[in-house]
Amino acid sequence: MTNTLAIKTKGLTKQYGQTLAVNQLDLEIESGQFYGLLGPNGAGKSTTIHMLTTMTAATSGDAWIAGQKISDDPVAIRRTVGLVFQESALDRTMSIDENLQFAAAMYNLSPSEANQRIDELLSVFGLQDKRQRKLVSLSGGQRRAVDIARGVLHKPKVLFLDEPTIGLDLPNRRSIWRFVEQLRREEGMTVFLTTHYLEEAAACDHVDFFQQGQLQQGGKPQELTQQLASYILEVNTPNPENVSAQLTPIFGRPIREDEDLSFKISADDVDFQQLQHTLGDSISSMQWRKPNLNDIYLWTFCSPELGQTV
Amino acid sequence: MSWRPVKAVVGREMSKLFRQRARLISSMVRPMIWLLVIGSGVGSMLQGAEQEGYLTFLVPGILAMTLLFAALLSALTLVYDKEFGVMRMMMIAPISHYWIVVAKLIAATMTAMVQAVLLLLLLLALGLISIKIAFMLLLPALLTAICCAAIGGLIAVWSKSIDNFAVIMNFFIFPVFFLSGALYPVNQLPDYLHYIVMVNPFSYGVDLLKHAVPNVATDFSVMTDIAVVLGFSFVAIIIACWQFSRESVHEPLFHRSTKR
Repeated sequence: MTNTLAIKTKGLTKQYGQTLAVNQLDLEIESGQFYGLLGPNGAGKSTTIHMLTTMTAATSGDAWIAGQKISDDPVAIRRTVGLVFQESALDRTMSIDENLQFAAAMYNLSPSEANQRIDELLSVFGLQDKRQRKLVSLSGGQRRAVDIARGVLHKPKVLFLDEPTIGLDLPNRRSIWRFVEQLRREEGMTVFLTTHYLEEAAACDHVDFFQQGQLQQGGKPQELTQQLASYILEVNTPNPENVSAQLTPIFGRPIREDEDLSFKISADDVDFQQLQHTLGDSISSMQWRKPNLNDIYLWTFCSPELGQTV
Repeated sequence: MSWRPVKAVVGREMSKLFRQRARLISSMVRPMIWLLVIGSGVGSMLQGAEQEGYLTFLVPGILAMTLLFAALLSALTLVYDKEFGVMRMMMIAPISHYWIVVAKLIAATMTAMVQAVLLLLLLLALGLISIKIAFMLLLPALLTAICCAAIGGLIAVWSKSIDNFAVIMNFFIFPVFFLSGALYPVNQLPDYLHYIVMVNPFSYGVDLLKHAVPNVATDFSVMTDIAVVLGFSFVAIIIACWQFSRESVHEPLFHRSTKR
């Protein structure tokens, strides 16, 4: 049933010399989904995107975008997908208008179509009155917004966002996400996101954790966090060994980061007040909270069973 | 395949060309220095009528030089755009990648022609050529411009970054220019240099331009010149397109971010 899927890959592999950047990747992403591929730097996320957008060829395996095999007709695939590169694709010496007109012409939009679409997108991003401004005079967040507008000029069915908020401050990151959400709602495009700001992926319909070119685990963010634990208990202590030895029999081994211990607690009925009382002076602080995607990341990639430290 | 993307790439180069007016004007300085300084300097070693003749002899050579530098530098925007990321906009566009090369080389040819026309106007103003000769030079200049753009395309698709620019200048532009008969007649060169001139496609462009100026000795026939210039350009552009379509060429553009 490749037809209903926005993205499908089968054994997708990319090898650079001796290194396997992406190793036997199998994905199935339905139309209209907001999908997040999460993982550390160098995990192969960008390489995956570049293969799916025909910017680089797979070493082996196949992939389909909206039912079209990517190796059959790369030009048709590029018409179907939009890609916002991790690094800007814009010409800094030209104005917003010149950049977007140029990109629109590359997508074979007529000048009037292009004008209308640019108007539409710039008003979404609140940049209408800066249309004639040179790129150099814009802030990082505004430039990023123009980059995203460029990526969706041709109303792609599938939009790839490669670390879209990297290097941006919090307000700018928030507004970028508002725009993406609005575009998704209004145009119903499938969005494929990579990021390592994990809290941003919480809005995804599905996330997969990716490391060394392989999927580690995935699911709905909410389900994943529920499955991980009921609570995350964080303890700061001058004697991490002692506290760890004391609590490990009850909660299992913690993730240790210097004087910080992080336990995942599956039971729902832990009396934290009592625990705090028991630990008493041996700890400097403790807090318990619901798990989030950061915890999944840590417990997937740095779990004590793997013997890795944070 | 629609022409709109190709027109967009060419249009971008043209608007950059005319926007940087100071640069356009300064591009006239180099040929003028060659013509007036070298022309008069070397000319002064010659006798009477020969002295006059050398300046005329230099006109096609200087025009060819202008075409060579303009077309080559313009073709190198293939590398510049990669370096500054703008190439990504073209790579993700729904066109076959070789069209990017074709568009850039059309732009390079046009850039070279704009500068050639400017130079011809200047030479006219200085009284070094007549209007008739200026017109006679246009078509040979166009063919030479295509040839230079093709040379530039070949260099550009094999350059990984603009850091190689000095290398490109020293190893390509200067030898191609000096060993072309632009500054001196080919038949007086020692044998081994003569052979180098013979395999240099630019020499035939220079020679073609010489045919347009009366009383300037030429080394090959017009037909040979046209055949070599067009034949070389055709093959070079095909090779440049082929190399550019190979994915490994762009690995620095995309793989860089994953390596970090």
